[in-house]
Amino acid sequence: MNQTIVEARNLIKHYKDLNALDDVNLSLSANRIYGLLGRNGAGKTTLMSILTAQAFATSGEALVFGESAYENDAVLSRICFIRESQKYPDDFQPQHAFRSAALFYRNWDQGLADRLAEDFQLPVKRRIKKLSRGQLSAVGVIIGLASRAELTFFDEPYLGLDAVARQLFYDRLVEDYAEHPRTIILSSHLIDEVANLLEHVVVIDKGRIIMDADAEQIRGSAVTVSGSAEKVDAFLAGRSILHRETLGSLASVTVDEVLSGRERAQAQEMGLELSPVSLQQLVVRKTMAGGAGASATSGDFANDTLEARR
Amino acid sequence: MSRTVAVARMQLINKWTYIGWPLTILAASFIMSLAIFALIPVQEGKYGGGSQAPMWYFLVLGIQSMTLVFPFSQGLSISRRAFYLGTLSLFSLIALGMTGLYLLGGVIEKATNGWGVYGYFFSIPWVTDGPWYSTAAFFFVVMMFMFIVGFWFATIYKRWGTGGTVVSTVGTGLVLIGIGALSTLLQWWESIGTWFAQQTPLSLSGWAALLCLVLAAGSYSTLRRATP
Repeated sequence: MNQTIVEARNLIKHYKDLNALDDVNLSLSANRIYGLLGRNGAGKTTLMSILTAQAFATSGEALVFGESAYENDAVLSRICFIRESQKYPDDFQPQHAFRSAALFYRNWDQGLADRLAEDFQLPVKRRIKKLSRGQLSAVGVIIGLASRAELTFFDEPYLGLDAVARQLFYDRLVEDYAEHPRTIILSSHLIDEVANLLEHVVVIDKGRIIMDADAEQIRGSAVTVSGSAEKVDAFLAGRSILHRETLGSLASVTVDEVLSGRERAQAQEMGLELSPVSLQQLVVRKTMAGGAGASATSGDFANDTLEARR
Repeated sequence: MSRTVAVARMQLINKWTYIGWPLTILAASFIMSLAIFALIPVQEGKYGGGSQAPMWYFLVLGIQSMTLVFPFSQGLSISRRAFYLGTLSLFSLIALGMTGLYLLGGVIEKATNGWGVYGYFFSIPWVTDGPWYSTAAFFFVVMMFMFIVGFWFATIYKRWGTGGTVVSTVGTGLVLIGIGALSTLLQWWESIGTWFAQQTPLSLSGWAALLCLVLAAGSYSTLRRATP
C-alpha cells in the first residue's frame, strides 16, 4: 500500500447552528487523484481548509505528511490549496500571482504556467479584480498545476470556465500528473465530468463521509434493474435498494449491490434489463438515501473499504 | 527565514503598491502644496500639512495586507508567522525609506528657503525643530503606527467580523471618553497638559513606539487564529 500522507481523525468543526464536519475520519495515500464530492455546503471546503491549517477544527486531529500543518513550514511548503473564492492582493495581476507562487514552491514550473495561461486565454496583465469568474478560476487552476506541490487541492476549479476550458484543465491535469505524480484532491459537484479522472472517491454529505472507496470498486458496486414492476420486485426482494422509480406498471430500481453472473443470467431470463449506474447517479442516490437515514449502511461501506486498504 | 523574506519580496512584485503609490501621493501632495504656497503672497515661513498624505495611504495598506494579502498568502500555504514577520519587515523598510526621503526633503527645504517660495512641506513646527534623529524617529514611528493600526483593525475584522470591529472601535472610543471624564472629574487636565508640554518630539515618538509594539503584539496574537 502507498504511503499515507493525509490523515484525519475524528475531525469535528462546529459552527453556531450546524456541524460543518461531523466526526470525519479519512486517510489519503501518496500519488493518487482523489475526488472530494458532495453538495454545496456539504463540508468540502471546510475539510480542505482544516487539513491545510487555513481553518481550525473544533476537535479532532488532522495530520499531513505525519504532522500538523499549522505554522509548520516544512509541511506547508509541500501543500497548495487555492480556494474557490481565493482573494488576491488589490493591485495584483495574474502574472504577479504566478511570480509569487514561484517564490514559495520549489517545483514551480513557469513554462507550464505560461503555456496554461495561453491555453486558457488568460490576460496575465489585467488586474485580477477585473477578471471574469472563469478567468479567476483559471488563475487558481494555473497556480495549482504549475506549483507541482506534493499535495494539491483544487476547490471547484471549473467555476465559470466554459466547456472547452474545463476539458483543457482535465487534460492538462492528467498529462502533468502522469509526468509528475503527486496527490491531487479535486473537490467537485460536477461528478460526471471528473469521474474518469478519479482513482479514489470520497463523498461527504452534511459533514459526514458517506462513501470512501476506489473508483474501480464503485463503478461495479451498484446496478439498476428495470422491467415490469412485479418481476423487478420479485427479483430484488431483500436487497438493499437505493432508489426506485415507477412508470405505470414498469419499475426501475437501483440496488447498492453487485450481482453475480448467475443472478445476471436469471435477470435476463425474467426479461429484466440491467444497466450500470454512473458515479454521479450513485453519489446522488447515496446522498439522498443518507438523508432518509441510511447512514448505517454507508458507514459500513466506508469501514469496509478502510479495512480492505489496510 | 527564507519564507519570511519571500513574503516581503512577494509584496514588492508589483512595485506600485508599496513604492509607486506612496511616492506618487507624496509628489502630488508636494506639487499641490508648493503651488498653493506660491500663490500666497507672504514673505515668511508658510507651513502646510501636506506631507501627511502618504500616511493615510499606509493606513489603507495596513488594512489591505490583512484583508487581501493574508488570504492570498494562505492560499500559497505560507505560515501566519512568516506572513506577519515578512509583512512587518517590509513595512519597516518602506517606512525607513520614506523617513530618509522626508529628512532629505527637509534639508533641501531649509537650504532653499522653502523652495524659493517660503513654503515648508517637510518641516513641521515643533516636530522637526530638534536634531535630525528626533525628526527621523517621529516620522518613522508615525508611519509604522498608521500601518499597524490599519493592520490591527483588519485583523480584528477578519477574526471576529463586523461585530468585533464595532465592539473594539466603540470600546476604544468609550475608554478614551472615560479617561477624559475621569480626568475632568479628578482635575487631572493640568498635570496632563504639563506632561505633554514636557514632551519632546523624541520622547513622544518613544511613547508612540511603545504603543506600536503593544498593537503589533496584539495583532500577532489575533492573527495566529485568524482564518482567510
